Amino acid sequence: MRWRIIELETHDAYFNMAADQAIAESVAAGADPTIRFYKWHPSAVSIGCFQSMNDEVDTAKCREEGIDFVRRRTGGGAVFHDENGEVTYSVIALEQDMPKGVIDSYRLICGWIIDSLSTIGITASFAPINDIVVSGKKISGNAQTRRDGVLLQHGTVLYDTNLTRMFSLLKVDNAKLSDKAIRSVEERVTKALDYSKISQDDLYRALLSGFTKGKDSYTGKMTEAEMKRAESLADKVYKSDDWNFSR
Amino acid sequence: MEGIAKQKVPGGKLLIIKVRYNENIEDIKILGDFFIYPESAVIDIEAAIMGMASRSSEESLIGSIEAAVERAGAEMIGITPLAIAQTLRAAMMK
Repeated sequence: MRWRIIELETHDAYFNMAADQAIAESVAAGADPTIRFYKWHPSAVSIGCFQSMNDEVDTAKCREEGIDFVRRRTGGGAVFHDENGEVTYSVIALEQDMPKGVIDSYRLICGWIIDSLSTIGITASFAPINDIVVSGKKISGNAQTRRDGVLLQHGTVLYDTNLTRMFSLLKVDNAKLSDKAIRSVEERVTKALDYSKISQDDLYRALLSGFTKGKDSYTGKMTEAEMKRAESLADKVYKSDDWNFSR
Repeated sequence: MEGIAKQKVPGGKLLIIKVRYNENIEDIKILGDFFIYPESAVIDIEAAIMGMASRSSEESLIGSIEAAVERAGAEMIGITPLAIAQTLRAAMMK
C-alpha cells in the first residue's frame, strides 16, 4: 500500500469538507490511500452530522465575526477551527486496509498523533472513543465515517486555539459534562503550546513525520478531477442551508 | 405536544431527543455527538419510532430501535437503543 501525502494547505470550511469527501470517493474508485493536512481560512466551526447547528453554534456571532460554520459528514461534536490555532488532518483509506473495529481504527490513527506529539515533548494518550488527552485534558478530537468501503477519519490537534473565543461561539451543553464532575468546559481542553514551546509549523512537521513513519508514501496533490468534484460539493452541499441546517 | 430530553450516556456520548407527540409519536429527532455507521441509519431509526404510541414501554421502543438497527446493518458508537428509549420517554414525561 502506497500512501499519497497532501501537505499542509489552507482552504475555507466548505472546500475542506468537500475535499475530504471528494478524495474518499476517489479512493473508493481506486486512487491511492491519502493523508491530508489542512488549516481553515477563515476560522470556522464544524459540527457533527447528528448535531443541530442552531443548538450547537452561535451562528449570529459567527456571521458577525466572519467565521464559517459547516456540518461535517462525520459524527462527533462541534469544533472551533481557529485559523492559526490548530492543525487538521484526514486519513482516507480502504476499510479493508484498516482495523475492522471502529475503536481499534481510532486507536491506530490516534497512535500516529500520540507518537508525533511525543517527538516534541508532549506525552499524550488515547481516550476512547475518539479523543487524545494530555494530563486528562483534550488536545485532539477525531471523527470517522465509513462509506462505500472507505474509511475517512479527520481530526484536529490544538496548537494555540483561543479557548475563550471557542467557547463563546459554541453552545456547550452542561449535560455533556455531567459524568465528569468538571465545572468549566475550559478545564477540559488544552493545546500543544501549553506543553512545548514550538511553532505551529513545528507541530505540523511532527505530525507529518509521525503519520508517514514506516509507510511507503509520496507527496502528491489532489487531482484535477478531485478538485472539480470538491468545488462542486462545496458549492452544492457544504455551503447550503439545506445541509448545514438539516437537523 | 413537544418535548426534549438529554442524556450523557455513561462512557459514551451526548444524546438529545426532540419529539412531537400526541397519542402517537408524530416526529422525532435523534441528535448528539455520537456515531452511527452508516450515518443514514439514524433516519431509519427515527422512522421506526414515528407512529408508535407515546405510552410505549421502554421494552417496546428498544425492540423497534433494535430492529431498525439490524435492518440497516448499523453500528452505534456512544449511544445504545436503551439510551434512546430512556431519553425519548423522558422527553415525553416533561
